Amino acid sequence: MKSSFLQMALGIITAIGGFLEVGSVATAAQAGASHRYGLIWSIVLGTVCLIFLIEMSGRLAAISRHTIADAVRERFGFDFAIWPRLAELLVNFLVLGAEIGGICLGLKVLTGIDTRWWVVPVALFLWFVLWVGTLNVIENSTSILGLLTIAFVVAAVKMHPDWLPLARGAVAPVFPPRSESGHYWFTAVSIIGATISPYMVYFYSSGAVEDGWREKDLPANRVTAVVGMSFGALMSIAVLVASAEVFHSRGIDISRYEQIALVLTPALHRWGWPIFGAALAVCCFGAAVEISLASAYSVAQTFGWNWGEDEKPVKRARFSLTYTILIFLSIVPILLGVDPLKQTIVSMALTAIILPLAILPFLLLLNDETFVGTHRNGPIGNTVVVITIFLASIIALVAVPLEIIGGS
Amino acid sequence: MPPSHARHLVAEVLDKQIVDAKKHKLGKVDGLVIVLRDGKPPRVAYIECGAAVVARRLGRWCERLVLALNRRLGVRDEPRYRIAWSKVTKIDINVEVDVDEYPLLALEEWLREHIVGRIPFSK
Repeated sequence: MKSSFLQMALGIITAIGGFLEVGSVATAAQAGASHRYGLIWSIVLGTVCLIFLIEMSGRLAAISRHTIADAVRERFGFDFAIWPRLAELLVNFLVLGAEIGGICLGLKVLTGIDTRWWVVPVALFLWFVLWVGTLNVIENSTSILGLLTIAFVVAAVKMHPDWLPLARGAVAPVFPPRSESGHYWFTAVSIIGATISPYMVYFYSSGAVEDGWREKDLPANRVTAVVGMSFGALMSIAVLVASAEVFHSRGIDISRYEQIALVLTPALHRWGWPIFGAALAVCCFGAAVEISLASAYSVAQTFGWNWGEDEKPVKRARFSLTYTILIFLSIVPILLGVDPLKQTIVSMALTAIILPLAILPFLLLLNDETFVGTHRNGPIGNTVVVITIFLASIIALVAVPLEIIGGS
Repeated sequence: MPPSHARHLVAEVLDKQIVDAKKHKLGKVDGLVIVLRDGKPPRVAYIECGAAVVARRLGRWCERLVLALNRRLGVRDEPRYRIAWSKVTKIDINVEVDVDEYPLLALEEWLREHIVGRIPFSK
């Protein structure tokens, strides 16, 4: 009983910490403003795929007692494993920078002090928390504070959305006029990239191995994946709907982060602004923790170093230095003046591009008897994941150059 | 290892986690050294690990780069470490070895001493 409770906690924590983050907020808000309910399906599709992936990563951990990075290296060899790892690190570096930007924006909304003053203190704070904290303390506090994001659901419901078109948008694409279709598909893949974050899958896998899951934990793992990720998806959909009500109805397109901060104001009045700031800062912080740790875990696991967040840094010197370097490198683009909203959207689309490289080896392991024995993937899980990641990757490869040409 | 125990070297040994008797992670099995003998079957002599060993799997250029970096930083003399096959005590999800010296952890110790240990709150 205690063990399945712990397990649920890991899932909910992974979801709150990793699901709603700067990428989901920015892409969902843009989607709602530009295409009203027309892109809800991409959150739904991404979430269904993510549920399968999270369930698979827990199953791999419980049956083979391997983390994904360990198993990929063991099965495919170092000379292969290094490439998905490098691609993932590059994307994590950009996404982590975007999350830190999101924390700074949240703090700006709360205090009125400009974003650029926050970048270095926030990076130092994030590093310090990881340096001295233990995983449970960090994750529990961010996930409790993360419940603030329920404010998005409250706001969305209070604005009385049209439920019928909303439901239609959730099940199928609502094709926009031809002139907007490039932007529509670009936003769709950014949403899928923001939803299926490989770092969440890696983070969950390391947590499951550290907690020592076994075969008996599989039912709880299934429930956790569905409940935790659906909770996260609900928040994303709420951001999209609230943004549609606030911006789309007034014909406003979102081009700057500060505009998104107004999304709660019509429904929550003077509380809307500070609650948005606090919710954004907290959920981006949760995501920043997960990205930093997931990166350090997978580097350490690829090279066979000691890893784990609960030991003192001197006992995990290489592991601790990995996240330290990553955190301080990740703020370089913002400090050089890269627009944080652009960095966020582009890094989400980039995530979509690398999905096949990051996910396919993992999917093969889940079909390999030597790793998961009789608990192999069924045809449905395989099909959903393969179709989603390839579609997202191909659309992203086409849409990203179009967006860069069209956007500038 | 008991001689009667058949092993598929690439599938079951290469790239696995190496641990000592106390389950400390020492690295991965980055390479295997097999000795060819006249008139007798080849014999697995060592498991090999270290930065230069994995680097070589990506290409000679990568190995040279690692060796040059290693000399420059002065981390240790030899970024290749061989553990005699006779020291391998168990192969399950890890490869367990019976060693009492830890040159594989030289980089970890160097970083601990020169960098991590000097940052506040690291102990």
